[in-house]
Amino acid sequence: MKWLLIASIPLYLIGSSRRPLFVAALLLQLSFLAGRGLSLGRLPLIGPGDTLAFFSCSIALMSLPFLYARELAGERRFFWSCGGLAALFALCALPFPTLNMPLPPILDTYWFELHVALAFFAYALFGVAALLGGAFLLKGGRGFLDLQYRAALTGYTFFSLSMVSGGIWGYYAWGTYWLWTPKELWTSILWLFYSLYLHLRAKGTDWDRRFAWLGICGFLVTLFTYLGVSMLLKSSHSF
Amino acid sequence: MLKQLHARLCSLNLGLWLMAGVMLTLAIGSFSRGSAEGAGLNDLPLLLWLREAPLYYSWWLWIAVALLAVLCLNATLCGIEALRKGRSLAPQLMHAGFLLIALAHLLSAYGGFKQQFQLPEGGSIGFPGGERVQVERITGETGPMGMMSAYRADLRVTGGELNGVRPNAPMFHKGYGIYLKEVALDPVPVALLEVHREPGAPAALIGALLFTIGNLMLLMQRRGR
Repeated sequence: MKWLLIASIPLYLIGSSRRPLFVAALLLQLSFLAGRGLSLGRLPLIGPGDTLAFFSCSIALMSLPFLYARELAGERRFFWSCGGLAALFALCALPFPTLNMPLPPILDTYWFELHVALAFFAYALFGVAALLGGAFLLKGGRGFLDLQYRAALTGYTFFSLSMVSGGIWGYYAWGTYWLWTPKELWTSILWLFYSLYLHLRAKGTDWDRRFAWLGICGFLVTLFTYLGVSMLLKSSHSF
Repeated sequence: MLKQLHARLCSLNLGLWLMAGVMLTLAIGSFSRGSAEGAGLNDLPLLLWLREAPLYYSWWLWIAVALLAVLCLNATLCGIEALRKGRSLAPQLMHAGFLLIALAHLLSAYGGFKQQFQLPEGGSIGFPGGERVQVERITGETGPMGMMSAYRADLRVTGGELNGVRPNAPMFHKGYGIYLKEVALDPVPVALLEVHREPGAPAALIGALLFTIGNLMLLMQRRGR
């Protein structure tokens, strides 16, 4: 099945500036994840291999409405950058072995799957927002910034819902909706970062460039929360 | 003078600086030994931990809590001001949700409780008022990879009904939650139970619901803008 994931990478890299090829690459990834899901009997959301593949697919899926947005018609470089980002994380997923074990009892609940899937949708939207911020800085045009705001706000909604579902899961699994672990601290930092970003919108158009930069920095905080904490800090709450 | 203080306390700039400050202190704290899972931060209610832990472990959390307290004041005043001016309700619901979640953390930080018990079949836990919860039966299944794939403990409150406790399915009794953490079947069945009291949980849930409603309303409002 891994060939489906591998095949999506060149398709994204070569053809994602054309929407049909972008969609074809996304369908390959969705087929890969569906196959994994069917063979495991659960969503493939454990371990770096599966989560990176899920993240890559989420980026492509969340990019899709933006690829068809009226304001971005003909912005092929932006289409390609979304495909490139999805390809990058699919490529990162390849070296990791997939974990084919059944879920440990504590993770065997819909709250866990909801929590993780929503977090990845949010991360993906923060990635799209960063790309839109980059497009604004390179080309100008307030349309990019408005779409960046919408991507970040939708991502923030997904992320807040992920935190809520994680809290409910935590309460039923561990007896508390909050644990002091580096992962939770960085989750709060990421949530506060995008709270700050959304409040900054009220500062007006003088802050446009800083707003765009903040959208880009937000994705770096996202990547640290997802990958950095698991690799650099000791936390039971990782991958 | 009071007007000036009020204007400063409900200003957007103050809110932005406070959010940045909390982020910075939490980021520094995440690398400190105080936030490491062995430092006991998850074993005690937060206020007790802050009182007991040496300052070089906890300084970042003291600063974060102080900044959060001012941020809560800022959000409250900002929300009141916005409602007075008849602005959109959605952000104010989000502020109210945030404040309730902060209150929930405060309640749990003050009155939270956690204790572990390792009990065989027949062992029991005493509760205030003299009641006991007894472990009647411990069962488990081992999966194909040798790990426990499912486990369960049947508990009975003195003179009451039998309750099955499994991972993600705790038993609640008199404001306490009883959680099954682990089970060992050899040489004799033993269950590791954890008793929790989380007084902030209802406020956290209501806060999360308010926040979510406000967030979805905001999303709908900004959809076409």
